[in-house]
Amino acid sequence: MSDKTLINVREAVMEKFFLFCASTSILALLLICIFLFANGIPAIQEVGVRAFLLGTEWAPLRQYPATPQFGILPMIVGSIYFMIGAIIIGVPVGIFTAIFFAYMCPDKLYFFLKPVVNLLAGIPSVVYGFFGIVVIVPIVRVLAIQFTGHLPGGASGMSILSASILLGIMILPTIIAISESAIRAVPKNYYEGALALGASHTRSVFFVIVPAAKSGILASVILGIGRAIGETMAVVMVAGNHARMPIHALRGARSLTANIVMEMGYASGLHRETLIASAVVLFVFILLINLTFTFIARKSGM
Amino acid sequence: MKKFRLLGIVTALTGAMLLTGCGGSNSQASQQSVSGFNVNRAINVISREDGSGTRGAFIELLGIEIDGVDHTSSEADIANGTSVVITSVSGNIYAIGYISLGSLNNTVSAVSIEGVPASPETVQDGSYPIFRSFNLAIGNLNAVAQDFLDFVLSAEGQAIVVAGGYISVDATAPAFAGGGASGNVVITGSTSVAPVMERIAEAYMTVNPSANVEVHSSGSGAGITAARDGTADIGMSSRALHAHELEVVDSITVAHDGLAIIVNNNNPLENLSVEEIRQVFMGNIHNWSDLLN
Repeated sequence: MSDKTLINVREAVMEKFFLFCASTSILALLLICIFLFANGIPAIQEVGVRAFLLGTEWAPLRQYPATPQFGILPMIVGSIYFMIGAIIIGVPVGIFTAIFFAYMCPDKLYFFLKPVVNLLAGIPSVVYGFFGIVVIVPIVRVLAIQFTGHLPGGASGMSILSASILLGIMILPTIIAISESAIRAVPKNYYEGALALGASHTRSVFFVIVPAAKSGILASVILGIGRAIGETMAVVMVAGNHARMPIHALRGARSLTANIVMEMGYASGLHRETLIASAVVLFVFILLINLTFTFIARKSGM
Repeated sequence: MKKFRLLGIVTALTGAMLLTGCGGSNSQASQQSVSGFNVNRAINVISREDGSGTRGAFIELLGIEIDGVDHTSSEADIANGTSVVITSVSGNIYAIGYISLGSLNNTVSAVSIEGVPASPETVQDGSYPIFRSFNLAIGNLNAVAQDFLDFVLSAEGQAIVVAGGYISVDATAPAFAGGGASGNVVITGSTSVAPVMERIAEAYMTVNPSANVEVHSSGSGAGITAARDGTADIGMSSRALHAHELEVVDSITVAHDGLAIIVNNNNPLENLSVEEIRQVFMGNIHNWSDLLN
């Protein structure tokens, strides 16, 4: 066998191997889809689409003579509130940090700060949750007693606000990393052109560079939202997990992910199937978010 | 460049350590700074998630479940585990929760009920009113499963129950006289019962090496279903079996476990009546002033 044919054989084998690797992730996604929909859709049909998605009462374990209730609207609304809270807290901080990193940060400081931000991404979410319980919740408790002390039930500080602050911190690395690369991708001569026209440094950055990078920044925000809505462990630990419609930012709520993780261990029958069905709803959420991301990223040529 | 990067990582690690250090001192401060307990504050009720055996037993014993409907206050914080209840109560002087007596530690205080302190002894003599039974659901037992069941109810098996912080069903049980049967026993069910059952299984396998006992935990409901369907020999349940379940399987009580009502160590509350606990967890009593007078 000549060297050339050997090389060709090797090429072919490796190509097949890489194809196999590429198919693994697709196969995994396919299997997840099949599992979710095959188990979830019948449950949604049994409960009724309206009663499931718009029902405000979640009481899966009611027994005869009462009937169980499988409404997940409180959890959908809870997840959306956590997401909005995380955006309000995380997005401005994240974007300004990215701008600072790309255009204002002295090199020495950058080499110190950048690893710190990256480290933030590597902390396990249960550690974030513990940080939330020990540090954020007691601080929020002071506010909660002040502003919602008159409402029935205790103001423990486990609330939408606590979860939002925590999620806001957790989405920072995603937003900073992607926004920064988007800002850095803007050609330097835009900036120089703005300076040449007499704009100050800050003005050039904010009115020329940032608008040019806006679709990349938007993409980073959407990925951050994806992380926030899918986060489970940290939210379970600080959100209070009340299975009723959210009533106040300083009171608790339950997210879709929290509902699944808390009850899956014990659930059987229709209860279990409705939990899988809530995973379907979550999956559709994430799918929409990722499609938007892909769409925006394509448009911006990232 | 490299030097800077290394410097960065080191500083980041130091920062992270400082941060955790901060967290620790913060929680200590919040526990120590409690000099006065404001009785006009609302009660922070902490319950467990739906389906938890502890919650199931609690609502059943206290009559919070009425006609199949769980009336636990919708404003109760839901903790997904005994350890989370303990952490939440130890960090919040206005909180109240419930846990298995076997899991009680000194970071929180258990209140007396109707003047009776919570302890294995008071559960044993019947004066402590809220305790649940650890039950085994059994269908048709083979020889080795029957032999294992005899071991659980023997003096040796009950000694392991007591060592685990639970209460034996029969303090004068005779010593184990069986053994010799060989084969596999599959046990599944309640996550609360599983730890003590695993220890009993280990002890049994040293007494009877020809038997192999597997203990899985899957939740009370799943355990009873498995015993009924025959996918497991024995099902574990931390609640009493429902009437419709007793039509198809038998139930044997192998241990008792008290439910402790816990408050923060700085909370002045010492005693509650059963009715007070019930009203607190149903959300009808809101303020500490209604309990402390």
